[in-house]
Order: sequence, then structure tokens, then C-alpha cells
Amino acid sequence: MEIREERRDNVLVLAPVGRVDSNSAGGLETALLGRAKEPKLLVDLSSVEYISSAGLRVFLMLARKVKESGGRLALCGLGASVKQVFDLAGFSALFAIEPGVDQGVSRLSS
Amino acid sequence: MTGTLPRDGGTSRRLNSLLEVSKALAVQVDLDPLLAVILDKAAEVMDAERSTLFLYDPKENVLRNHVSGELARHAVVVPLGVGISGHVAQTLEPLNVHDAYADPRFNPSFDRDTGFRTRNILCAALLSHDGRLVGVIQLLNKRGNAAFSEDDETLLRAFASIAGVAIDRTRLVAAALESKAIEEGLRLAHDIQMGMLTRRFPKGKFDMHAALEPAKDVGGDFYDVLETDRYIWFTVGDVSGKGPGAALFMAITLTLFRASAAGLEDPSEVLGRMNRALSRDNDRMMFVTVFAARLDRETGQVLYSNGGHNPPYILRADGALENLETSLSPALGAFEEAVYTNAEFALRPGDMAILYTDGVNEAQAKDASFYGIERFEAVLRQLGKNDAESAVTRVVSSVGVFAVGAPPADDLTVLALRVAKD
Repeated sequence: MEIREERRDNVLVLAPVGRVDSNSAGGLETALLGRAKEPKLLVDLSSVEYISSAGLRVFLMLARKVKESGGRLALCGLGASVKQVFDLAGFSALFAIEPGVDQGVSRLSS
Repeated sequence: MTGTLPRDGGTSRRLNSLLEVSKALAVQVDLDPLLAVILDKAAEVMDAERSTLFLYDPKENVLRNHVSGELARHAVVVPLGVGISGHVAQTLEPLNVHDAYADPRFNPSFDRDTGFRTRNILCAALLSHDGRLVGVIQLLNKRGNAAFSEDDETLLRAFASIAGVAIDRTRLVAAALESKAIEEGLRLAHDIQMGMLTRRFPKGKFDMHAALEPAKDVGGDFYDVLETDRYIWFTVGDVSGKGPGAALFMAITLTLFRASAAGLEDPSEVLGRMNRALSRDNDRMMFVTVFAARLDRETGQVLYSNGGHNPPYILRADGALENLETSLSPALGAFEEAVYTNAEFALRPGDMAILYTDGVNEAQAKDASFYGIERFEAVLRQLGKNDAESAVTRVVSSVGVFAVGAPPADDLTVLALRVAKD
């Protein structure tokens, strides 16, 4: 799965592209968890049109890893259907979620 | 086979040997005995004192040795391009070295370690039927103090092409057997999973039925119904992901539900206890969405708690369809401290509650379009005259018709509870 990467201030912004389902979740897991030691990590989901429960699990693992290493994690750019998947599973309240990259970066920079 | 065969005096003897080799290799499908036959026959056909064989490891791009006899304990890894065998592996052309110690590519450390004295070497690549590098075979020391001839070279080419194909075939066979074993394991996991689901449902005033249509891979859907004197407990859930891991997690979840519902008073306590048990040491962050409910037979009141599951529907006796409002408590297994709350609804005569998993609305047709919530609700609205079993059947077959020709992507579960009209 393609993941775009850029550094904004001292925040690493990762932007996966495409569908996150049981086929692509493995690749995303490897890629994101490899960055879990970053002190400030923002995952931009604006180019993700679909996420399955297997995909949600990747974000739970990421949240746990980031927490363990004392870093901070935020998500941004969730489209309506992706947001609904987080909402339905009851996970929205457990993540720092911002509308866009700018807000995500400033939240992590504060 | 490449090249022309030698026409010297020993031709027919050596040709016969080659034919024998060909026959011997054709019947051998296990790698180790095959390599033993190749090494023995190579030394015999080529009149060599010793034979060694390196297998190509495409992952690491190196050769690893397989040596006959007492030298077997010496493990050697050769990068491509290094030494005699590495050179052959890289060029795929045979190499006939008349004086080993005069060739700078020759590595004498093997001789030093073993006490063997290498005089000359004939080395050729082993190739698969489609020309991929499988390994390299080396013959050491032509018997009778001679060197290997051009005819030997031609013969070894012929031999190597038979041996390469035979080695490659054992790998294909091993891969096929392995995938068959995995398939059988998955089928077994699936059978165990299906065997855990109850087939007995309440009938009479409270009429229940449920169906679980498994995807091709084992998935993690489940449902359950437990009856006590006063209550009917029921649940539907969906484990994240697929495969044996999801099936195992489903089995644990179902067991926890049965153990918890039997002893606890209300659904939020049940989910809380299940969540704490599932969250402990859950490094893979598996999670499971669970809707758990307790129907009071006396009053028709349903007390329920929802851990991240799709909110059920209620089809009222007057035809109105309600989507149950549920709190946003998280799915089970992810956060040990998560709090679950109870809510309540009343089922009156003629009402029907329908629980489901996202295998329904996320079912995909051949053109990849989704079944979707609107279509689901339209089918539900037409279920007014159905008993629980026929309601479940109608939903399942509606999805089946929609997804015909497309592989079942996910488990699909439907549970219906209907209160008989007075």
C-alpha cells in the first residue's frame, strides 16, 4: 500500500492511499508500526476511501505502540465513511482526531 | 537437454547411466533423498572422486552446500560471483578447471578443513524447466589422474538439466502439499467454529432464529442464545479480521459470553467482564464488536449493551422500522478500562428485533457494488408477516442473490426475535 510521508515542523505526517482491508492491512501495519517510535505522528486518512475492521486494528496497534514509547499520535482527514467505521466500533473517542493536516500538526505541536 | 552427447568408447555405458539417472530422478519427490541420488549418480557417471551440490537460495541470493558423505557437516554459504561455484551460478555456464590450485577463484579452505586434496573441478549450473537457477553441481577429481574432458562437460550439462528440473519439482510438490495442509487446517477451524454455534432456538411466544453464512476463509462472526427461567440472553458479534486467529478469538469470546451471562445480572456487566478478559495481553489488538441483550419473558423488556456493534433493527407490528440507538462504547478487546452501559427497549406482540453483522450491508456484488443499508432496510420492511426463521432466510437469500457470482468476502450473520401476536 502506498504511503506518502512528509515532515511538518517536528511532526511526521503519514498518508496511506487506497483501501485498507484485510488484504492491505498487513502492509500498512508494517509501515506504520515501523514509525511508532516517532515522538509526534500524524496519520492523514484523506486518501483512504474505505477501512475494514482489520484496518481499524492497525490503528489500535499503532496507538498502543506510540503510547508505549511515550510519543503522541493524531489522525486527520477522515472521510464520512471512514469516520463512520471508527464511530460504529466506538473508537472515535479513543483517538485524537482533527479535520485536516494543519489542525493535526498544530495539535501535536502544542 | 542441451548439447550433443559424447561419442568416445564409453558412450553407451555413460548414456545408459544417464538414462538410469533420469529414471531414478523421475520417481523421487522428496528433496533430501533426491539430492543423495543426484550426488551418487553424478560421481558415478562422471567418474569423479567426489560430488558436491549447492542449492540456490533466491531470498538471500546465495548458494548453500549439500555435500555427500562425511563432509556433510561442513556448512558453506557462497555469495553469487564468488569462487568456482559462485561464478557458475552467476554466468550459468559450466566451468572446467584443470588445476584447482592454479585458479584464483578456487577457495582452498575447504580442503584445509577436510584434508581432501582437490586437483580438478567440473562445475555446472542446475536450472529449472524455465531456466531459473536452482543450484550448482561440482565434480571433484576425475578418476585416474586425468582432468575432465570436453565430453565430460557435455555430459554434465545433460545431467544437470535433468537434475535441476527434478529438484525444482520437489519444491513445487512441497509447496502444493503445504498449501493443501493449510487448507485442511482452515476447514477444520471452520468446522469447529460452526460446531460451537447453537442450533436450538426458543419457539412459542418468543420465536427466535439465527443463521451464520461463513465466508470462504474462516471468519469471526458468532451468535448465541441462552435461556434461563426468567430471561432469554442473546448476542451477535464480529471479530476483526479473518483466518484462524479470528476463529480462535471468536471461540474465546463465545465461551466468555456463556460463562458471563450465566452468572451476571445485566448486559453491561457481561460486556465489561468479557472486555477485561479479552484486553489482557492482547498484543495483536484483536477486537470484537458485541451486541448483548437480555429479554425478560414476563415483561417483553429487552435490556442491552453494545460494544461497537451495528445497531439492530426493530420492525414494529404496525410496519414501522426503527434502528436502535446505541451508545458509542468501544468494541471489546482494545481497551481494558472501557465502560459499557445498559439501555432498554420494549418488544410488544407482533414486533420483531433483527440483529446482524456487517457481512450483510458490506456484501459485494460481482461489479463490486455494496448491498448497503438502504437495500437491507427495504427487505426488512417486508418481513411483517414472517416468523423468525423465514425472516432470517429471506435476508440471507436476498444477500445471496445480490452477491451471486462474487466470492463471499465476509461472514454474514442474522438473528431474529419475534414476539407472537396475542
